[in-house]
Amino acid sequence: MMDRNTIKDTGVLEQYLLGELSEKDSREVAQILKEDSELQAYFRKMEDDMEQMAFENAISPPTHIKSNLLNSIKNSDTVSEEGVIPIQQKKKISYRFAIAASLAALFLCTSGWLYNQWKNTEATIVTLQKETTNLQDRLVTVEDNLKETDKWYRAINNPKVVQLVLKGNEKSPTSSAVAYVNHQNKEVILNPQGLSKLDNSKTYQMWADVDGEMIDMGVIAQDQEMITMKYIENAASLNITIEPAGGNDHPTVEQLISNVYL
Amino acid sequence: MKDDLELIKKLQNQDTQALSRVYDLYSGAIYGVILRMCKDEGLAQDLLQETFMKIWQKSNTYDPEKGKFFTWSYRIARNITLNSLRKKDALLIQTEDLSVYKERSTSEAGKDITQLEGSLKRLEPHHQKALELVYFNGLTHREAHEEMDVPLGTFKSYIKQALKKLRESYKEELGIVWIIIEMMR
Repeated sequence: MMDRNTIKDTGVLEQYLLGELSEKDSREVAQILKEDSELQAYFRKMEDDMEQMAFENAISPPTHIKSNLLNSIKNSDTVSEEGVIPIQQKKKISYRFAIAASLAALFLCTSGWLYNQWKNTEATIVTLQKETTNLQDRLVTVEDNLKETDKWYRAINNPKVVQLVLKGNEKSPTSSAVAYVNHQNKEVILNPQGLSKLDNSKTYQMWADVDGEMIDMGVIAQDQEMITMKYIENAASLNITIEPAGGNDHPTVEQLISNVYL
Repeated sequence: MKDDLELIKKLQNQDTQALSRVYDLYSGAIYGVILRMCKDEGLAQDLLQETFMKIWQKSNTYDPEKGKFFTWSYRIARNITLNSLRKKDALLIQTEDLSVYKERSTSEAGKDITQLEGSLKRLEPHHQKALELVYFNGLTHREAHEEMDVPLGTFKSYIKQALKKLRESYKEELGIVWIIIEMMR
């Protein structure tokens, strides 16, 4: 067992400082120092002196040792933490990835929706344009129709105009046509809609009787509502015959289906 | 030098910046010890790194109650260096290449860089030698007294006296510093 004086005198403290003592002796000296503040102060002074001596004899090591040391510590840190850290990193990555993916998905959806909207709008515009064109066409048609109708209306609804109904005889009992004669303007207008249909090889033709002679007034086109016929001066009657398609120079009297006196 | 307990606390909490600071403070003094022990710059550099690696890893075992941080670090450096030298010696003996084997205490290699400085130089030669052997060459008291060819008791008193002289010279220095400081005021 060591006491303060033995320690001081035998150089044990110096050996303790230098780390020369066995583990057992070291523990014992440490314990004694802990309990003896005076001895501890003595030891502290010795430490100070030794430290100062070491500092006076310091030699600067090359700078790369420090960077080597710090690097190897950094490396050993990452190695020792490898078991724990990667999971967190993965989490971090997946978290970030999730945000990025969400944003991308949102962007994709928005883009898709906008594209759809754009396509719809475009389709609507095309439809509207078509409709507008259609309406314009129809307007033109309606205007044309109106002009036509107006023309016929003015031609017909005139006090100077004589309205004559040509009824079909026994050869074509269901047929009827209306002729409007304006002696002032020398106009004849015919509505042939009431005439019975003929096959394509035949046609109706109109004739004017002037002093017993039949004069051609024109072929009746059946697909029209109103036809302007030739006005013949001094006609006694209007006659309709059935003739070969394209019309005839002379009327086929046997085929007379209607006549009316003026 | 007073220990910076806050810095040491940070080091114990594995703060690499604290290690960097500790290295800046102590590496020179420790390298001086290691290099004088092994007298081989390459090896000394490796051992210095190994020492600080150990300081880093074992920092939590340092107890400020038991002694100064430098004393603790010095012991680590000394142990690492002595172990390495023992291995080297064993290897040399194994290979029987005794021609390259030299007593580390008597080696002349790197004498110029390992020349001792400061107050130690002003001590009497046998005091200086005694301190050098145990402190900078890492010899045990037993080895050192044989090296100096004096009885162990005498050797121990050499150390004691050397330390006493050292303290006195430091006190003188402190006194001079104090006078200079006073004069500057």
